[in-house]
Amino acid sequence: MSSNRLFRFPKPEWINSPNLRTAGVYTAGALFSLGFFFFIDVSTYSRSWKNASDVHIKFVDWIPGICSALGMLVINSIEKTRLSADSYSYSGTGVAWKARLVLFLGFALMAGGLAGSVAVLVLKYVVPEYSFPTLYFGIANVVANGLIMLSSVVLWVSQNMEDDYTYNLAL
Amino acid sequence: MAAGLKTIIALSFVLAIGFLLVILSSALFHSYLTLLVVATYVIAPLPNWICARCANPDDFMESAGSAVIDFGRFATGFLVVMGIALPVLLAHCGLIAVPAMAMSIVGGLLIYGTVVSFGMFFQEEQDF
Repeated sequence: MSSNRLFRFPKPEWINSPNLRTAGVYTAGALFSLGFFFFIDVSTYSRSWKNASDVHIKFVDWIPGICSALGMLVINSIEKTRLSADSYSYSGTGVAWKARLVLFLGFALMAGGLAGSVAVLVLKYVVPEYSFPTLYFGIANVVANGLIMLSSVVLWVSQNMEDDYTYNLAL
Repeated sequence: MAAGLKTIIALSFVLAIGFLLVILSSALFHSYLTLLVVATYVIAPLPNWICARCANPDDFMESAGSAVIDFGRFATGFLVVMGIALPVLLAHCGLIAVPAMAMSIVGGLLIYGTVVSFGMFFQEEQDF
């Protein structure tokens, strides 16, 4: 396994420990929850008595978050061993191609969610020059989408960790 | 068995203090939304337990089981952070007072710590 690695520095031993992997999955859930509640906080605040302005969270603000969450669902429900399935003969024709297409769709949804939240921030809150309690609606939307993206990255990395770990065990 | 009668008594004390804090935080300020924290922390360990029953972690040749376990851990992490984020959200939106937020967070963490340590102490003997 060490003969065909790509980089000159070897991977540290502790990266493959199952405890770190478990911690990664918990952290992913925590990050997703943090992002989700940033957005729920903003939409609750916009309807509460503390909101002095007449700007409210509409369905437009929800679209980027929905896209990000859908993208995360798509990315993490792919079986990751199928991404390199073309080198084996027992897999059907074009399994890796299909998996990569679905993965691309997922990444596009997630990047579209983040970009859409920035677009909502700029078009709805920065261009009309709202002051800070209202501007926070847009900023929290961007933060929420970024946290969902980060959560997806952590989940992806820790699940790939698990593949290496089981590979070591199986040999 | 190391976890004997004293452990049970200590855990029940901590659990009672946690419930006391949460109930005081709702009753003193006449806003019963903080009771949601108790519900969150009571259902927080449930996904882990259910998904651990659904999949056998010992056969590492079958990769379908670990996805179910991972989903349970993800949901547990989600619910634990939700128990902290929910009072902060309610306080930020003016639905509960800030002291009520602090009391319900501390009480909720005590309740969740009790549930987790109860599981840690008494899960061992069910394995074999």
